[in-house]
Amino acid sequence: MNLFFVVLIPFLGAGLAAWVSRFGRLQSAWMAGGVTLVALIALTPSLPAPFLGETLVQRIPWIPALGLDLVLRLDGLGLLFALMVLGMGLLVILYARYYLAERDCMGRFYGYLLLFMGSMLGIVLSENLILLLMFWELTSLSSFLLISYWQHREDARTGARMALAVTGLGGLAMLGGFVLLGEMVGSYDLSVVLANGELIRSDPLYTPMLVLILLGAFTKSAQFPFHFWLPHAMAAPTPVSAYLHSATLVKAGVFLLARLFPVLSGTSQWSILVIGAGLATLLIGAYFALFKHDIKGLLAYSTISHLGLITLLFGIGTPLAAVAGVFHIINHATFKASLFMAAGIIDHECGTRDMRRINGLWRYMPYTGTLAMVAAAAMAGVPLFNGFLSKEMFFGETVTFSANHTWDWLLPAAVVVAGIFAVAYSLRFIHDVFFNGDPIDLPKTPHEPPRWMKVPVEILVAICLLVGILPAFTVAPLLYVAATGVLQTAPPDYDLAIWHGVNAALIMSVIALIGGILIYAGRRPLFNLATKLEGLLDARAVFDGLLKGLLALAGAVTRILDTGSLQRMLLVFILSALTLGTVGFLGGGAPLTGDRDLLPADAVSLLVTIALIIVALWTVVLHRRRLTALIVMGALGLLVSLIFVKFSAPDLALTQLSVEVVTIVLLLLALYFLPQYSPAESSWPRRVRDIGVACLAGGGAAALTWSVLTRPYESIADYFLENSVPGGGGANVVNVILVDFRGFDTLGEISVLALAGLGIYAMLKDLRLPGPTCDARGRPWNWDMHPVIMAALTRLLLPLALLVSAFIFLRGHNLPGGGFIAGLITAIALIMQYLANGVEWTHVRMTSNLHPVIGAGLLIGLLTGLASLVFGYPFLTSAFTHVHWPVIGDFELASAIAFDLGVYLVVVGATLLILVHLGLMHHASHPGEQEPNHA
Amino acid sequence: MLEEPSSMEALIAVIIGVLTACGVYLALRARTFPVVIGLTLLSYAVNLFLFVTGRLTVGQPAVISDQAVGYTDPLPQALVLTAIVISFGMTAFIIMLALKARAELGTDQVDGRLDGGDAPNERGREHG
Amino acid sequence: MLSIAVSIAFALVSGALLLSLFRLLRGPDKPDRILALDTLYINTIALLVLLGIHLSSSLYFEAALLIAMMGFVGTVALCKYLLRGDIIE
Repeated sequence: MNLFFVVLIPFLGAGLAAWVSRFGRLQSAWMAGGVTLVALIALTPSLPAPFLGETLVQRIPWIPALGLDLVLRLDGLGLLFALMVLGMGLLVILYARYYLAERDCMGRFYGYLLLFMGSMLGIVLSENLILLLMFWELTSLSSFLLISYWQHREDARTGARMALAVTGLGGLAMLGGFVLLGEMVGSYDLSVVLANGELIRSDPLYTPMLVLILLGAFTKSAQFPFHFWLPHAMAAPTPVSAYLHSATLVKAGVFLLARLFPVLSGTSQWSILVIGAGLATLLIGAYFALFKHDIKGLLAYSTISHLGLITLLFGIGTPLAAVAGVFHIINHATFKASLFMAAGIIDHECGTRDMRRINGLWRYMPYTGTLAMVAAAAMAGVPLFNGFLSKEMFFGETVTFSANHTWDWLLPAAVVVAGIFAVAYSLRFIHDVFFNGDPIDLPKTPHEPPRWMKVPVEILVAICLLVGILPAFTVAPLLYVAATGVLQTAPPDYDLAIWHGVNAALIMSVIALIGGILIYAGRRPLFNLATKLEGLLDARAVFDGLLKGLLALAGAVTRILDTGSLQRMLLVFILSALTLGTVGFLGGGAPLTGDRDLLPADAVSLLVTIALIIVALWTVVLHRRRLTALIVMGALGLLVSLIFVKFSAPDLALTQLSVEVVTIVLLLLALYFLPQYSPAESSWPRRVRDIGVACLAGGGAAALTWSVLTRPYESIADYFLENSVPGGGGANVVNVILVDFRGFDTLGEISVLALAGLGIYAMLKDLRLPGPTCDARGRPWNWDMHPVIMAALTRLLLPLALLVSAFIFLRGHNLPGGGFIAGLITAIALIMQYLANGVEWTHVRMTSNLHPVIGAGLLIGLLTGLASLVFGYPFLTSAFTHVHWPVIGDFELASAIAFDLGVYLVVVGATLLILVHLGLMHHASHPGEQEPNHA
Repeated sequence: MLEEPSSMEALIAVIIGVLTACGVYLALRARTFPVVIGLTLLSYAVNLFLFVTGRLTVGQPAVISDQAVGYTDPLPQALVLTAIVISFGMTAFIIMLALKARAELGTDQVDGRLDGGDAPNERGREHG
Repeated sequence: MLSIAVSIAFALVSGALLLSLFRLLRGPDKPDRILALDTLYINTIALLVLLGIHLSSSLYFEAALLIAMMGFVGTVALCKYLLRGDIIE
């Protein structure tokens, strides 16, 4: 299970690193370094396995039904990347500790960095494609946070947003690709996918799947035409750039190419797409790198170019090319990270990154200069440095590949051109910065950086040299297992020597070196030409244009849909529902009336129906006189609950009755602050239109009800009816469904109620509204706040009402009742005291803090559910026993009653919270108006 | 549709239709309070509709006992029971929004427009 | 015998219900309407008890009990509003 710890530790450490920053600025750096070391140690037990040719797979079942397991794997490729992520992470953590300024928040930086590190480890160690994608998206998010670390800077925010948009879009495409891939082989496990290359390549959906996955990889690895985000991501602090753009973020894309290389490569689609993108990126990156005046800009474009090179190698598709690709991944990571760090030192020391001003630094910092020179030589592909080895393999591969193809000379020629530019920009990096005259107008006088800031650079440069001179004794074993991991078989023979005799690759290297020097020597006219051509190939402008267009489109759509008028939107909504319903019904050709036997109506029902219809219409007629409408509506609720009683739903009747009263109290409380009358504003045509729409909607609802009611149906009710007593221990099936069969739903419902209560509480927090000082007819309010008879009566009623509530609650499992109804009754009994005796009187006798009640209710509900989990039953399974209580009789005690208690508490708490705090607002609105309390 | 005017089903259908119509008309008014009343009427209609999808049965509550001759469908009842309570929460939330809007905007017009009345017709709205 | 009595009672209570409904809708004053609503609640109680007798089931009596209580609270709240406007103070 150690792989899980490797991935998990950085995530946990992220929180720790952010937290310890309160104990001192540098604590986060120590913590981050420590965490990385621990992750590295956690990885060590697994190190030997890939070298022995094993693939470690560790699995924790997660959602087996969906084929989703938390499953990690470690093979050679994963090992190489895990080591790079952790090792480079360690160096960057050390470097950043000196790089970041006093005012930069260390905790946030290292927190983000560890977050990113964990996500990256997740990608390279995932065995499941969906899991991989999750970590992939996490890297997009955490790199967004890292790039925008200097949040006050406009360019950092823009760059981060651009990176997120581009890589996020790619991730979305990749999800599509992965789903296709998973469906082809029937599993999302990499082991299965990697073993089914033939099947995948012959699938009819191979091409769309390939395109989608490549979109993901190319956006991440900044391949043309998605390369533009990478230079803008340079707004990040340099340690971030060194980490993201050497070994990690942008390598995730090529990692994916390498990971899926055995199954996806070997088709003409693969060759065309991957070689095309790689070659274009290689050339464009190399060209732009030469003409950037910003040091980090130069490095950014050279990174793009090298990523193109690696992509091109995987595109060629031969095993040997893949080996070269892996090799260049390693080499590029080392020399590019050290170059970024050197650039950071220069920036740090000079206060600028503009190469037109930074000149002649050799005099000020010869040591850093030497380190930079070694790294730049590696980047240029000078012999004896590591970049030379992989670049020569690269040249060789292009020649071999071209020999079999029609465009035989084109590819080698193009890569030589790229090589020439690579030499030229490497040369420029050294010559322009360290020589070429004197510094111009620098903000600071440069000198060598602190000792330990150079250590990471030294280590990386040493690796460049060692690998370059003694490849067989240094990198060879790691390269071998990594290549095995990529190819999933033993790699073909290759020779990691510096001298292979005079062959095509060597000649190409020599041409590149000489050409590069020549180009750099004759750079003046080229620079002029480049200035003129600037803006021609500006992918950023295209991106911005697209973004602007998209926003404009979204705005236009919003303007069409959201007219800012509730009336119009409701109208559209109702008419659409009507149209859809009518079309659906007419299209089905079903008769309106079904063939179920109907119940004959009796006189009382007819009477209640007529009463209800008149009351409903009257509510509408009187609606402008608001209080009157409210009184009439009270009768409506009563009549609706009669319907529930009539048709065998006593529980619903009880609930409806209680809710009705609570609603009336609520609306009265609100009405106090609102006008008492609605003005007659609607024009006649509009009223006629609304009446027409209302009649249509009513007719539709009636027709729908009629056709439902007249049709026979199959119900799952029998299950509940049969199992209610034996399974749930209650005879009232409605209540048993609520607290047992569908208890999870009920838990959700009471959570919603609790949230509504809290939301209303929050909205009331600083709401102040003036209330009227006289009634609607202009008469002053009565002086008697709490009429004595009313106060006395309600006090008498309280214990009675609470008794009713307890009765309804306790018997709820077997007879109509239960937590919802009992809660409402209790709430009403208490509200009655507020009504008749006032807030002060009540608050002396009862707590006004209702949040704990709601919390306790939710907690009890949850704990009851968890308790049944503890005993090995599904969530919220009920246990019950019979208890004989004296006087009351045989009584069933079910664990569901505890759950019902939770429901009860939430209902009481939320209802009281809403009503009492709305009432208290009156209090707050009239602080001065106090009258003698006669109670 | 009402070829059998004396059936319970027809009565219920008419009730639901009338409640819906009244609710829709009120919901289309220009002031917050009638809209809230309208939504309350609509929730009566919806709750009734959901309830009667279990079909109509008289005098057979879903309480298990030896004397019972049959039971009504308890599932829609359980659904509607919570729906009634939740619709109270919703009403409370909406009326609170109305109060908040009144406090912030000084009007109880549904779109917060100070001149009151209905939303003007399409033309001239953008610049109005 | 009982069924005849129940039928007559149904008719009478329905009549009472209609009359209070008339007062509720007609008004003319708010206190009239509130009192009518209160009476309507009482009528409903009678109706429910009669239904219980008619179906010989006791399951409806709690609803009657609750209507009695809720009717009282509703009436109190409405009256308080008429008196003071501010019902929880």
